[in-house]
Amino acid sequence: MSSRIYLGELEELVLLMVALLNKEAYGVSITEELKKQAGRDISISATHAVLHRLEEKGFVKSKMGGSSAERGGRRKRLFNITAFGRNALEELRDTRNVIWDLIAKTSPS
Amino acid sequence: MNKNLKAPQWVDALLEDLAPDELEEEIRGDLYELFLNDVSEKGVAMARRKYIFNALGFLVKSFFWKRSSSTGTNSFAMLANYFKMARRSLMAYKGTSIINMLGLVTGIAAALVIATVIRYELSFNKSHSDVERIYRVVRVSGDDMSEFRTGVSYPVPAAMKEGMTSLENITSMEYFGGAYVDVMDSTGKSVAMFREDFGCVMVDSSFFKIFDFGKSDFKWIAGNPEKALLEPFNVVLTESMAKKYFPDGDALGKAIRFEKFYDAKVTGVIADFPPNCDFPFTILISYSSIEVMRRGGMDNWYGVNDRHQAYVKLANGFAQGEAEAQIHQVHAAHTPKDLHDSRHYLLQPLSDVHHDARFGTYSGRTISKQTVLALGLIGVFLLLTACINYINLSTAQSTQRSKEIGLRKVLGSFRKNLVGQFLTETFVLVLVSGLVALVVAELLLINLQQLLTIKLIGYNFTDPFVILILAVFIVVVTLFAGFYPSFVISGFSPISALKNKFSTETFRNISLRKILVVAQFAITQILVVGTFIVVSQMRYFNNVDMGFNRDATITLNLPNTSVLADFRSLENQIKSQSFVAGVTFSSTLPSGVRRNRNFMDIGKKDAVNPKDMVVFEYQVIDPSYFEVYDIKIMAGRNLEASDTTGNIMINNALARNLGFRTPEEAIGQELKMAGQSVTVAGVADDFYSNSLKEGVDNMAFVINPRASDFCSIKLHSQGGTLSLPEAVKEIEKIWANTYPEHIFNYEFLDENIHAFYAQEEKYANLFQLFASIFIVIGCLGLYGLITFAVNRKAKEVAIRKVHGATTGQVLFMFSREYMLLILVSFVIAVPVAYVAVESWLRNFANRIPLQWWLFAIPGLFVLCIALFVIMSKSLVTANANPVDKLKYE
Repeated sequence: MSSRIYLGELEELVLLMVALLNKEAYGVSITEELKKQAGRDISISATHAVLHRLEEKGFVKSKMGGSSAERGGRRKRLFNITAFGRNALEELRDTRNVIWDLIAKTSPS
Repeated sequence: MNKNLKAPQWVDALLEDLAPDELEEEIRGDLYELFLNDVSEKGVAMARRKYIFNALGFLVKSFFWKRSSSTGTNSFAMLANYFKMARRSLMAYKGTSIINMLGLVTGIAAALVIATVIRYELSFNKSHSDVERIYRVVRVSGDDMSEFRTGVSYPVPAAMKEGMTSLENITSMEYFGGAYVDVMDSTGKSVAMFREDFGCVMVDSSFFKIFDFGKSDFKWIAGNPEKALLEPFNVVLTESMAKKYFPDGDALGKAIRFEKFYDAKVTGVIADFPPNCDFPFTILISYSSIEVMRRGGMDNWYGVNDRHQAYVKLANGFAQGEAEAQIHQVHAAHTPKDLHDSRHYLLQPLSDVHHDARFGTYSGRTISKQTVLALGLIGVFLLLTACINYINLSTAQSTQRSKEIGLRKVLGSFRKNLVGQFLTETFVLVLVSGLVALVVAELLLINLQQLLTIKLIGYNFTDPFVILILAVFIVVVTLFAGFYPSFVISGFSPISALKNKFSTETFRNISLRKILVVAQFAITQILVVGTFIVVSQMRYFNNVDMGFNRDATITLNLPNTSVLADFRSLENQIKSQSFVAGVTFSSTLPSGVRRNRNFMDIGKKDAVNPKDMVVFEYQVIDPSYFEVYDIKIMAGRNLEASDTTGNIMINNALARNLGFRTPEEAIGQELKMAGQSVTVAGVADDFYSNSLKEGVDNMAFVINPRASDFCSIKLHSQGGTLSLPEAVKEIEKIWANTYPEHIFNYEFLDENIHAFYAQEEKYANLFQLFASIFIVIGCLGLYGLITFAVNRKAKEVAIRKVHGATTGQVLFMFSREYMLLILVSFVIAVPVAYVAVESWLRNFANRIPLQWWLFAIPGLFVLCIALFVIMSKSLVTANANPVDKLKYE
């Protein structure tokens, strides 16, 4: 736990989706997956904004992918989770697990 | 799926322009993909909506606007820089900015108020369909066509309807204004009494066919519009009247009684008429009731009542001239030659009704096109004088900023950048002032509704017209006020600017500034002089002797179905009060706005031709009338209670107009009055039965105790133990005992007379308001200029003082130039004001003479105010210790 991780709740969810979609993560697919998996309906511009922040913080990296007809011939920007991003997610999960264990021990009901 | 589906193009264009280059492709790609998904799931329309919504979502995200430093154009940054600089320099010169802003706020707010008023006045009577085909029938008579009236004789409308092909519709109406209204219950008992002062009218059922108020939200709330006004004594109430009379709800079918006598039934309820309408109607009685209420005279082509008017709607394709010719034919077919030669029924377009004071309106409210124009001019001048302030102050201030300009130029500023910067500075100031002015104008309008006699329909902030006007004001003022200073300032040579080589004396705009100051103060002086004279004339109207005594007089409206015995008892009871000096009963009052007027014609006993007859006003009085009103009897005797209607008194004007050389000559003469023979018993002195705007009318007086409508009570002006309101209370007690079933309805005579001048009073108030605004703006500008001069000349003053100059000499040095400018502006203002005021005063039969001091006093007043402003600022410098200013040199 070298440094503290600043990851908002929505940012974490989006980052998870990027990891889940693996190589196929871009604006539309992330938005749809988020709705499917987490029931969160957010606008496309909000997704873009979050992805931007994640890239700025170094949790994801991106490159332009191939074009397709259903996008009017335009390319999509594909996002990949970085090792740093993966670590951050795992660390968050571990922290929570530890805390949950404590909760289970101290509260009998 | 349709391959040609396109997302909204304008959104694409917007994104293309605004999106950062490196993001545009992915954003548009994602949007398009979503769009296609939506099309297949939710349909095209929904997809388009979502597309717009999604795209606009990007515009509020900060990453969208973040630019990498290497890309993007500079123009946005430059504009942002202009605004930053504008804010800084406005903050740096706080004093000047505040003065400029105060001037601009005042100017723009006043101009906004004026724009609202003008729009309101021009919106009158426009809310009907086919307004351009609606006309009022007016009466122009006299050999020289000099008498402009509105009334038409009772048989005229019906004959017109029958004999004219050019009419689509015609409606007649008689407005009788006030009435007693009793609300009846189902058993025919009066449950509530009201006295209405205005709003009662008889209209026929075609009224709402011509005046459909189609462009306002007027509507029928209850009742059948086709049938509601057909039967005699059917009544349609406006919503507020219906609520007043029947607070528990449904008014339809309920009974009310007019004037304690006429039973009527409510057959309809309508929305209140919009305020910008010249029909002040609240109680509409069916026109068919007229035969009952007027008791005959319906087939008299001679008699006219100005309150009986007719409006027509011409059929498509007929011109006003053709219709007028047809009216003439109809009139000529029914009347003898002497009548239709001297009386003409013409048409007046509905759009002119509100703007032609010669004919007047039921609401008593007209405003001429010239007045509207004058108001508009005042508004323009107000904006102009605010601009002048700004121009003067910023050119004066520019010398202080010469270093800034010089440095900017040295660092590579182009002239257009500097112009851009100064225009931005102006724009920011004007924009802020404009927004403040919008609030100020709203507050002013709310509080000035009474004074301006307007009724606000909505709020300014939500009115697109006002917002548009404000935007126009802001743009025009920015360009007008900002253009010249920005060019002057940006034209400085950088070297001399850096060396600060300017001084006020050699400054090349000094002459322009002088001209602007003179122009500003000339406008101000014209208004101040005008105001002073208008106010003087008003004072003259209110104080001059009208030929009778109007002080401490209370007048009561009498119920017109009362009987003689009751008057006697009322009279005796009132007379016995210690505070009462006299009581008299009459059919009308000597003067005032709210009184009855009856006209007849009279001639010598051998007169046959209508041309030998003289029109006069007929008043029924009792013997104490002349004594109570302090009117002198010039010859003969007063009328006595035993006199019949065969004995009359006439006034001096009538005696003169009948051809008697002296009042004495008229005594005992036999005259023919409305066909009956009468004898002149006495001649009374003239008094003004009209306002002083007009001359003295012919008048005759008879005794007829049964025809009294008014009771006048003269109170002891001094020595009385009761104050005026207490006296009224005492009289009300007596009234309630004598007539428990009637409302006590009183008025003070002097207030009634004062109402003659409501229009002039309004102008006088408006003039005062505008003149003070001009003075405020002018003085603000002067204050700014003198502040600037004082600061620049601080060292000069110090050196002068060291050399022995007195405070007085220093003050003189500062004020000399501006005093001279104001004198010049006064010289320009006087002839303009003279012409304007003279043409206004020419409307009045009784007017003040234009004397030199009527111009000199207001001129001196402005000079003193300006001098005060200058002194207040320069005195500090003049009294300052010279050492403080010189020790840093």
